[in-house]
Amino acid sequence: MSETQEFEPKIATFLCTWCSYAAADLAGSSRIQYPPNIRVMRVPCTGRMDPFLIIKAFNEGADGILVSGCHPGDCHFLDGNLYARRRFVMLNELLQYAGVEKERLNFTWCSASEGKRFAGVVEKAVNRVKKVGPWEGFDGQGFSREEGELVREQL
Amino acid sequence: MSNYEKVTEEIQEIASKLLKEDEVDKIIGFGKGLFSKEVTPIFVSREEDVNRLLFSPEAEMSLAKYLLNYKDQKVAIVAKPCDSRAIASYLSEDLIKRENVKIIGINGCPGIEDNTACQECDIRNPVIFDYTVGEEMSDEEIQAEIAGFKDEIEEMSPKEKMEYFRNEFERCTRCYACREACYVCYCEQCFTESNQPDWVGDSVKLNDNITYHLMRAMHMAGRCVNCGACEMACPEGIDVRALAAKMVRAADEIFDYKAGVDPEQKTLLSEYDVNDREKGFMD
Repeated sequence: MSETQEFEPKIATFLCTWCSYAAADLAGSSRIQYPPNIRVMRVPCTGRMDPFLIIKAFNEGADGILVSGCHPGDCHFLDGNLYARRRFVMLNELLQYAGVEKERLNFTWCSASEGKRFAGVVEKAVNRVKKVGPWEGFDGQGFSREEGELVREQL
Repeated sequence: MSNYEKVTEEIQEIASKLLKEDEVDKIIGFGKGLFSKEVTPIFVSREEDVNRLLFSPEAEMSLAKYLLNYKDQKVAIVAKPCDSRAIASYLSEDLIKRENVKIIGINGCPGIEDNTACQECDIRNPVIFDYTVGEEMSDEEIQAEIAGFKDEIEEMSPKEKMEYFRNEFERCTRCYACREACYVCYCEQCFTESNQPDWVGDSVKLNDNITYHLMRAMHMAGRCVNCGACEMACPEGIDVRALAAKMVRAADEIFDYKAGVDPEQKTLLSEYDVNDREKGFMD
């Protein structure tokens, strides 16, 4: 990354296929603009998400994460997101305690009809991560910023 | 301290009674180790050996894990209050049968030497037992014991926290002594040895070390009883307990949940409440 260029974070984004992924789709088909910093992974339900996925994302160089699922009570599988909610609260506490800035951790809910809200959430998450700057990795060594070189070369 | 000697005597008394009446096949307890003050787990199955059982300030390991090796036998176990919570957790997870275990609980645990977990331990009497030894500790006494406790890491800035954990886990050699000592870590295959998915590299590198400890702490969430066995087992003297202990405090603070206080309760992350707090979520 050259000095003149603004820092563009890469945000590992986990979207529930039933709500938030559809919201992203809606945002796209309604031509709502949002920053291109998110890298979307579609999950069957936020309840399926192992917290390890998030820890691993940080270990492999994501500057931040964004997780979005159905609103509590609206889960396609009835209560998947309610289990997920507890897990994310605990993970959030853990990562903040270990020294990951709270701005890098973005958890929210978006329903399938909230395309506009989804765009807003992404914008907000990107601004939050931009504020704290590039993620240095757990070992403080930093990561290559070239596109397509997200994963650090293994020795 | 004479307290320890008295407890030792009472343990031996109950143990010999249990073996004489043939109520159990084996007694899992603490015994004298090879070196002067070292304490090691011992398994007593003959009545003449009960005088080898003891309790001392060095009885640092959690014995509960051995129960998993003797699921189908009748055994008695000497349990500190934290071990009794571990046993209650096993019962709530249906890993052992209550009728197969006789628990000799140590009342009013005075704490284990050099174990920092004892400084914040507010459960000093066993939560589940068949026999008790020692004198029960009252709430006021317990509050007095933990009054001086303060979590210093919590007050640091994110940068300082990260620096602190980097300094600690830099020394980690991934020997997994913490995992072996821990009562929660009974998985047949640990995530760190799994290669599909390959969660974390298993060579000694700082970023992987920290990732391993974070992931382990996440497995501890709502199950760790803060016994400090991991920290005592660590040959490098790393503050391994810090992350899991944070999970214990967070569970208590946010969900009012304490692990292993009731054999009937579910683990924190295997249930939910529709009104759970969304602490730390985006608004």
